[in-house]
Amino acid sequence: MSGTVQMEWHQTPGNQVDSHYCPSCLENMPSAEAKLKKNRCANCFDCPCCMHTLSTRATNIPAPLPDDPSKTTMKKAYYLACGFCRWTSRDVGMADKSVASGGWQEPDNPHTQRINKLIEYYQQLAQREKLERDRKKLARRRPYMPLAFSQHTIHVVEKYGLGTRLQRQRPGAPITSLAGLSLKEGEDQKEINIEPAQALDEVEPLPEDCYTRPINLPEVTSLRQRLLQPDFQPAGASQLHPKHKHLLIKRSLRCRKCEHNLSKPEFNPTSIKFKIQLVAVSYIPEVRIMSIPNLRFQKECQVLLTLTNPVENITHVTLVGCEEGDPEDINSTAKVMVPTKELVLAGKDAAADYDELAEPQDFQDDPDVVAFRKSNKIGFFIKVVPQREEDGDVTVSFKIRHDFRNLAAPIRPSEEGDAPTEAIWLTHHVELSLGPIIA
Amino acid sequence: LGDTKSPLIAKIAAGAVVCVESEIRGEVTIGARTVVHPKARIIAEAGPIVIGEGNLIEEQALIINSYPENIAPDSEGVEPKTMTIGINNVFEVGCMSQALKIGDNNVIESKADLGRNMILTSGCIIGACCQVNTCEVIPENTVIFGSGCQRRVQTERPQPQTLQLDFLMKILPNYHHMKKTVKTTSAVTPAKN
Repeated sequence: MSGTVQMEWHQTPGNQVDSHYCPSCLENMPSAEAKLKKNRCANCFDCPCCMHTLSTRATNIPAPLPDDPSKTTMKKAYYLACGFCRWTSRDVGMADKSVASGGWQEPDNPHTQRINKLIEYYQQLAQREKLERDRKKLARRRPYMPLAFSQHTIHVVEKYGLGTRLQRQRPGAPITSLAGLSLKEGEDQKEINIEPAQALDEVEPLPEDCYTRPINLPEVTSLRQRLLQPDFQPAGASQLHPKHKHLLIKRSLRCRKCEHNLSKPEFNPTSIKFKIQLVAVSYIPEVRIMSIPNLRFQKECQVLLTLTNPVENITHVTLVGCEEGDPEDINSTAKVMVPTKELVLAGKDAAADYDELAEPQDFQDDPDVVAFRKSNKIGFFIKVVPQREEDGDVTVSFKIRHDFRNLAAPIRPSEEGDAPTEAIWLTHHVELSLGPIIA
Repeated sequence: LGDTKSPLIAKIAAGAVVCVESEIRGEVTIGARTVVHPKARIIAEAGPIVIGEGNLIEEQALIINSYPENIAPDSEGVEPKTMTIGINNVFEVGCMSQALKIGDNNVIESKADLGRNMILTSGCIIGACCQVNTCEVIPENTVIFGSGCQRRVQTERPQPQTLQLDFLMKILPNYHHMKKTVKTTSAVTPAKN
């Protein structure tokens, strides 16, 4: 049986990371490499002051020739500069480099060694816990939690350590979140011991002029600038070093119920197209507002709407007003009278622009209802009576019912020759905001 | 009689390149090596404007010495205040400056808006689209940027745009007519009839 026909808009579809790329140099990176580089680009930097992208600028500086120290020649020196806030790498004392890229080093964190040792220790602990959990899972299978056992979700759990109900039910085990850190299989299970952190009795006293020293405001860093560098969190602007730029991701979406791929972007960061793009707009007729007359309180006005058919076969559309007590009808502030007859939309014909022949299809439209018809689009009238005299937009809502043929499904061969695909009738709630009442 | 001050004609020093399409109204003095692009506007309503050397005034920039809002143009006792602009400043495209005193080496970026009571010292950069209308003296080397007009102090002043000025002084006369320059007054003026 082919995939489900269901609207996914009230359930966020499952997210998956597809690819990593740098937003400024558009360099693609596989996920493993991205994790190794801590999701940062190797070439691009962010301004520590205003967080824009830094650009490399060159100047000519006189430098002594290596052979003859008395003569000087012009050599190119490169520095980083921000075009937005005019920050330069010279402001923090970073010397100009002689290579255009790759010369810039991030300052070392003095605590790196200790942190690495702690991470190793906790990775081992997490691995051990995971093994225990796996053993428990296999021991008692819980049939009402099928998703937890599918290959896809285990893969997700391993990578990120969150997202499944199993993880969320254990708030008292923070170490499981570190299970996502990569750990090579078959590593020697050597015991890593760490020294516990030492609590000190004596703390460095504050400087004497702490309260009396006048503040040099340009030198004080803002909280945002400080927290973007969690290693150092410098309080002075002369300590703000540029950080490598964060990578962005492209993600693919999946249906939660049937695990079908809904949206899969291209791998190339410069391309905005999709490999798979199953969006509702390409299957459901689109309602657009064409013209609104002056809306008056409790006076009937005629609003011109258009209906566009995105599919290639003829679609029949019926509009129905919302009933009293409809749970989806929360915002409407006006009464609406929709056309009662069924509207027929011609299929979208890609070659219609080049076809000089007149419209062969004759739909016999009621001129009171249908204003115009143009290939796969019709314009029709609805009557609106605003019910509330308040400030704010007049909102109307109604239901649109149309037939949908799932052309992606394989046509089953039947004995009578080819049978047309079954039409499924779908109903959607439409809400239109028509603008303010003009007195 | 060669030097009668005619307030309706701008005094453009020799060496300045001022395009004919620019609008210069009132008593304006423009120094040497200053480039005024077409469609720039320098309007001296409420007093004269003195522009120094080496400035770059780009298209649609508006430098205006206008009456303050609460004073009617014709009221008595209003002394005309001179607006002075120093050397090596850059007024980028579309900016508006009403500041009465601008020093040297400042850059007023595109669509920036300077109020009348500002005083720019030197090396200041007013970022694009920043509207600054306070009554203060901006310290040296200040950069005003961002939608919230954040400020920071930079360590070095912006470089003077000598390369750009040289290029423009060569190229602009090829495509535009220039306004006539006035010879700078020397100590001995030859008698004219």
